[in-house]
Amino acid sequence: MNPFGKYIFTVLSVVIFSSTATADQDRENENSELMGTVANKAYIKECGACHFAYQPRFLPKRSWEKIMNTLDSHFGDSATLDDATRTEILTYLVKNSADSSSSRSSRKMLASLGKTDTPLRISDTPYFKRKHREVRPNVFKRKSIGSPANCPGCHLTAEQGDYDEHKVKIPKN
Amino acid sequence: MQVSSVFTAVLLFVATSPELGLAAGLNAEMTKYVQGLETQAKKQESGFKGFDPVRGKKLFFDARPNDKTGTISCATCHTPDLKKSGKTLVGKVIEPLAPSANKARLTNVKETEKWLLRNFKQVYGREGTAREKGDVIMFINAQ
Repeated sequence: MNPFGKYIFTVLSVVIFSSTATADQDRENENSELMGTVANKAYIKECGACHFAYQPRFLPKRSWEKIMNTLDSHFGDSATLDDATRTEILTYLVKNSADSSSSRSSRKMLASLGKTDTPLRISDTPYFKRKHREVRPNVFKRKSIGSPANCPGCHLTAEQGDYDEHKVKIPKN
Repeated sequence: MQVSSVFTAVLLFVATSPELGLAAGLNAEMTKYVQGLETQAKKQESGFKGFDPVRGKKLFFDARPNDKTGTISCATCHTPDLKKSGKTLVGKVIEPLAPSANKARLTNVKETEKWLLRNFKQVYGREGTAREKGDVIMFINAQ
């Protein structure tokens, strides 16, 4: 190979390799964005103080709006926030809700709902129920799980937005 | 001589201001907040003689009827030992409430007010009065 050919080869390999790397990275991002990593600090701090900070893509916009407009009685408890914080969190949730997501799970979640269904619990959606149909109700009640609200109780990578069935580990008690 | 008279003065001061003695260790913003609660409590209760950690302890442990859990008290989630981590009703870990075990506790007025509001509503179904909030703060601060 003459020096010029060597040069062309190097340039070509760099181009080919870097484009492969980019494609891989994109796919990786897509995967880790399966249900998305929660990014809003106020959401993690305020909502995540009491329960798992669910990825906003699990519920439609209308659900988040209803939840954030009824914080005075949040499943029977007071989760009152100052107005600025409430607005910030609501904006984040709406922007990243199932309606705004292109992920398959979000689309399936929405498809499982009637157009005006406004579930307040992810575990109330037909999509969730279908996905967990093999889990007996008393499994959710095990001490280390508590309730279906505790995603990371079994989905060890839930915080990273990864709900891959193969990464599920159901605690024995 | 000078030192001992200063010492006596401090002792006298602490002895005559029980609520200030109890609030020991609180930072400036929290001290100001507690003083504000005290002013309110004086207005609201004619016989008010300062915050009391014993009353605060009672408020913390008093169990009230609750739809989800049968009965509930602050200790249900925070555990009876405030130096230990607790758990919310849906299983999320709560860092210890005692400032001796968790330096961040009772250092931020906004946080303190938010949780007093939420948790009084959760346990008592209403907001706490200025006196009750001061009592509970004194109890927690002593842990």
